[in-house]
Amino acid sequence: MTDPALLTNLDESHPERALEVAELVKRYPTGVEALRGVSLAIEPGEFFGLLGPNGAGKSTLIHCATGLAQPTSGAIRVFGHDAIDKYAEARQAVGLAPQELNLDWFLTAEETLDYHAGYFGMPKRERRERARELLETFSLTEKAKERTRTLSGGMKRRLILARALMHRPRLLILDEPTAGVDIELRLELWHYVQRINDEGTTILLTTHYLEEAEQLCDKIAFINEGEIVAQGSSTELAARYAVANLEDAYLALVGREELSRSRVQELVS
Amino acid sequence: MSAAQIRFLTLWRREVNRFLKIKKQTIGAPLLETFLYISVFGAALGSRIDELHGIDYVVFVIPGLIMMAWAMNAFSNNSSSILQQKFQGAIQDQLSSPASPLELLLAFSLGGFMRGLAVATLTFIAASLLVDLPVDHVLVLIPALFLVGFFFSQLGVLIGVRAEQFDDVALAQTFVLQPLIFLGGVFYSAALLPEPFQTLTHFNPVYYMINLVRYGFLGFTEADVALSLVALAAAAAALFAVNLRLFTRGYKLRA
Repeated sequence: MTDPALLTNLDESHPERALEVAELVKRYPTGVEALRGVSLAIEPGEFFGLLGPNGAGKSTLIHCATGLAQPTSGAIRVFGHDAIDKYAEARQAVGLAPQELNLDWFLTAEETLDYHAGYFGMPKRERRERARELLETFSLTEKAKERTRTLSGGMKRRLILARALMHRPRLLILDEPTAGVDIELRLELWHYVQRINDEGTTILLTTHYLEEAEQLCDKIAFINEGEIVAQGSSTELAARYAVANLEDAYLALVGREELSRSRVQELVS
Repeated sequence: MSAAQIRFLTLWRREVNRFLKIKKQTIGAPLLETFLYISVFGAALGSRIDELHGIDYVVFVIPGLIMMAWAMNAFSNNSSSILQQKFQGAIQDQLSSPASPLELLLAFSLGGFMRGLAVATLTFIAASLLVDLPVDHVLVLIPALFLVGFFFSQLGVLIGVRAEQFDDVALAQTFVLQPLIFLGGVFYSAALLPEPFQTLTHFNPVYYMINLVRYGFLGFTEADVALSLVALAAAAAALFAVNLRLFTRGYKLRA
């Protein structure tokens, strides 16, 4: 159960924030502290980027928000619903496209979408129509009856995104959705998520492609060693680190300024 | 239908659909196995043993085989379904849904329960075609079989949740469950065993389950029927409570 004292740390003047996290701590039984008092807020309709090196705590934060991990302490609210005490309402509002290709090998592409929507209580006719629409959108119609294990990596990635969208979530969480996909698919995904964001879906994106975050996100937070170290627009972040762009700001965050393209170019010339 | 009903039916449908998709392995193989037991222990060995407690040997073993079919299938279905989904990460789809721990537990449990029911029913039909199998106490038989199915479904869930590799499931099935079932008196009457094995058999919980089912079919038992039913119901309820606690805590399911 969420500590009532921490619930008061949530900003009550914005009860309908898409995602609000207050002083979130996640300590694994091994003693590793993956999140160390993370606080952040995502407004409805925002396209929010969460950037950080591997192991910074991005996926742990996402797992805490979606019920896949249990916070040690702190509070999380999704559209005003406490993610622990009112988990059903909170999870109903979230669609998660995880980093891992976690599809059920026994199911076909169509069944994957149908079952997911069923878990979220969607009636049969609506499930069927929505599945048809998303299979079409993600160019998977011809693969609808194929078992997921026979799909290519790119198709699995599309299916995972389609699955996350099946129940029409108000908050879509994309955990490195373009990792390992070809340029064509990456651009397709960009266009699609941009469109649904324009239509009102709030998006939380984690990615290692900084140009992706720069182009898509209204607001970006840097997370490092389980803490949010900076947040703002890409321009604000660049200004904060006194560098030219988001990539250089990120390199400053991880202490690898020597890898900056401008510096490498200077050295070459 | 409410959203909660749709959710539960979908969770349950997924579990049933899983074993139906591989029915040669999940239904066909156990049926063949039971048929082989009937052939070897009933027809071949039975021709030498003739009768046990005044009952044809082949008829004497069939109730135990039906119980064993339900128990083993309920257990192996649930343990492997949960472990497989954990292994693939696919279980995250159910875990991140609005489903409650109780809904998840019941759906996972009922998958194996239904598979056990299917195999046990088919075994009963096949056995009835081969021999004259009476059903003496249907009001004991049905609750006894349902409780056995529920108990082993819960055991399968418990092992599946705890397991980290396929070896863990095989270990429980091969080194614990199978010996308990075989030594519980499926193929013989404990009264015929020499000491100390006769006394040791009374410490095997499966012995009481077999006796309940045998009583339901044949009207013959070596154990107290009412006490066995109550103990079995209590054991199944206790196991269910343990599993519900594990699901609520997210033990080895949620990080």
